Amino acid sequence: MRYLLIITLLLGAGLGAILESGAADVFLEATRPDFQKIPIAVLGFRDGQLPDNPGARLTQVLKDDLRRSLIFSVTDPAKLGLTLDGAYGAQNVLFKQAADNGISVLVWGQVAARQPDLVLDGLIYDGVKQEAIASKRYVGAPPVLRQMAHRLADELVYRYTGEPGIAKTKIVFVSEQGGSRELYVMDYDGYGPRQVTADGFLSLMPHWSPDRRYLVFTTYRGRTRQDIDAIELATGKRATLVSMAGLNITPAFSPDGTELAFASSNEGNAELYKYNVRTKGLTRLTANNGGDLSPAWAPSGRELAFVSDRGGSPQIYLMSADGSNVRRLTFEGDYNAAPAWSPRGNWIAYVCRGPDRQYKLCLITPDGQKRVQITSGQGVDDSPSWSPDGRHLVFSSTAEGKSHIYMINSDGADLERLTSGGAHHSAPSWSPA
Amino acid sequence: MSTHTRVATLVGLLGLVAFAGAGCSKSIQGDAGSKSFEPAPSQAKSGSGNGAGAGSGAVQESPGPQFGSLPGDANGGATGKGSGEERVSEGVAVAKAAPTDSSAQEAFQQQMQREQAATAVAGLDDVFFAYDSWKLSDDGKQALSRDAEWLKNNGSRNVAVEGHCDDRGTQAYNLVLGQKRAKAVRNYLVELGVASNRITVVSYGKDRPFCRESNESCYRQNRRGHLVVSEK
Repeated sequence: MRYLLIITLLLGAGLGAILESGAADVFLEATRPDFQKIPIAVLGFRDGQLPDNPGARLTQVLKDDLRRSLIFSVTDPAKLGLTLDGAYGAQNVLFKQAADNGISVLVWGQVAARQPDLVLDGLIYDGVKQEAIASKRYVGAPPVLRQMAHRLADELVYRYTGEPGIAKTKIVFVSEQGGSRELYVMDYDGYGPRQVTADGFLSLMPHWSPDRRYLVFTTYRGRTRQDIDAIELATGKRATLVSMAGLNITPAFSPDGTELAFASSNEGNAELYKYNVRTKGLTRLTANNGGDLSPAWAPSGRELAFVSDRGGSPQIYLMSADGSNVRRLTFEGDYNAAPAWSPRGNWIAYVCRGPDRQYKLCLITPDGQKRVQITSGQGVDDSPSWSPDGRHLVFSSTAEGKSHIYMINSDGADLERLTSGGAHHSAPSWSPA
Repeated sequence: MSTHTRVATLVGLLGLVAFAGAGCSKSIQGDAGSKSFEPAPSQAKSGSGNGAGAGSGAVQESPGPQFGSLPGDANGGATGKGSGEERVSEGVAVAKAAPTDSSAQEAFQQQMQREQAATAVAGLDDVFFAYDSWKLSDDGKQALSRDAEWLKNNGSRNVAVEGHCDDRGTQAYNLVLGQKRAKAVRNYLVELGVASNRITVVSYGKDRPFCRESNESCYRQNRRGHLVVSEK
């Protein structure tokens, strides 16, 4: 997964058309429409005596992070005659010149060895204040050098927005290896995938605990057993949380981490339950002749979106967290599924099937008043999951043939493939910040 | 809506409780000294642990509900020498999780291979479905009549019905659709006189496809109730 492909050709034209037509009044908050991105320039990182010259790579990681933050617009410092060497001369004239040319923030630094670690120094110069506002030093083992650049990116996002940033977040997904489907965790930009399970059969639909400590997922243990397991990532320890007869699928932790909502076909067709992991109390939430599945918590924890085919076709419904007050949310089309409630609460992403019978991503407001399709073209899009900053979605798609994991802005821009190779990748879930 | 506690069927939270006491590592925590893992991203957080006075003064630690706290949290992440350094580790340390019971898992795999062999010998007919549908076709019913005959003549054998789906639609809903297909097959076999306790059902949704191309002939192959001579 070394390659990040930016695929604008695939969706660009179609997306433009969709977003322009009929959806012009829909306010899609990748960032606020009146938000002016902050112009920033990364001068680079000196890498002195380090053998493999990681400076250029660090610069690229940082620039990519800043671009994806949607807070900054990354400009080319070379055009203004600004160089890394210049920065070390403390040439305030140059900085002021940059500020005058509209660059609000300058970043540069150096990376050096301090056995057995690497040390990354990052300097942040604010062109408005006309002073260096921070000097950050990150220390870590050589394999985490990218993480250090991610940390600097998140620091910048934090300083200019007060939000934590997503550069150090992770994505869990399912990958098929040698006939079995196992869980993997990778960096949010697709780097460093690491295998989590090795059960040799089917592990499906992983989801994070709000503290990022656990993954919950469905694992097939035999002909009649599909359990919901939890794995503690740092240690690999695992426990079975739910083992009822039949399907036990689509687990999702409540925002406070106390309750696990899931679907089980224990009593015939799939119904929704919630399991309190502290009291071990089980509450049944739905009871009808249709299949109910894919619970998605509102960030308040007070409501759930879910899928039901009680009306004949799969549609998104909402209910209170105690199972009361059920109402249907989607009415357009005859296939709407896989809901994911945005971290800010104002959108629910889901898979919609339009008149062209393709399975694409849609967003709808919880009051049902606004709806917009954000992907188009061929292929099956599935399993949307929000970034913790609410500006991006990760999802799987067969748009290029094989099933891969993609990232996209919530307004449908900047589609980016995160996985590569020939394996089947599916069911991504974005970690909390 | 009913509430009931099923201690017997729910293998409880022993693991999570055990984890909490297990002195788990700090390494799951990437940031030095500044962590509070609230899920809501709108909450202001300290983005930097130390050094260089963190930007805006709006940093607040929200005392919101949390999923336990990490042992050793009070120490924060280890900081390096001097102030102003942040120790960086993997944001989320990942350890490979061994199967709960690898011998059971292996036994299941071997069982599946034996069943596959037995199924090939028995020559049971599979059932195929229309797009989005779990309704049995006339062809499907005829196939099941032959299967029911075999089951009556082989009274000591049991059958597992696997519900499968094509690649279209979501993974999750296809698991439910596959379950409906498998149950439709079971119900018809029961109608034909096969004892229901000889038939188990399982759904693989679109996750164990017979055919992997994205075309109609492949889709048709995958929309299937697959009958397996099972060992229970």
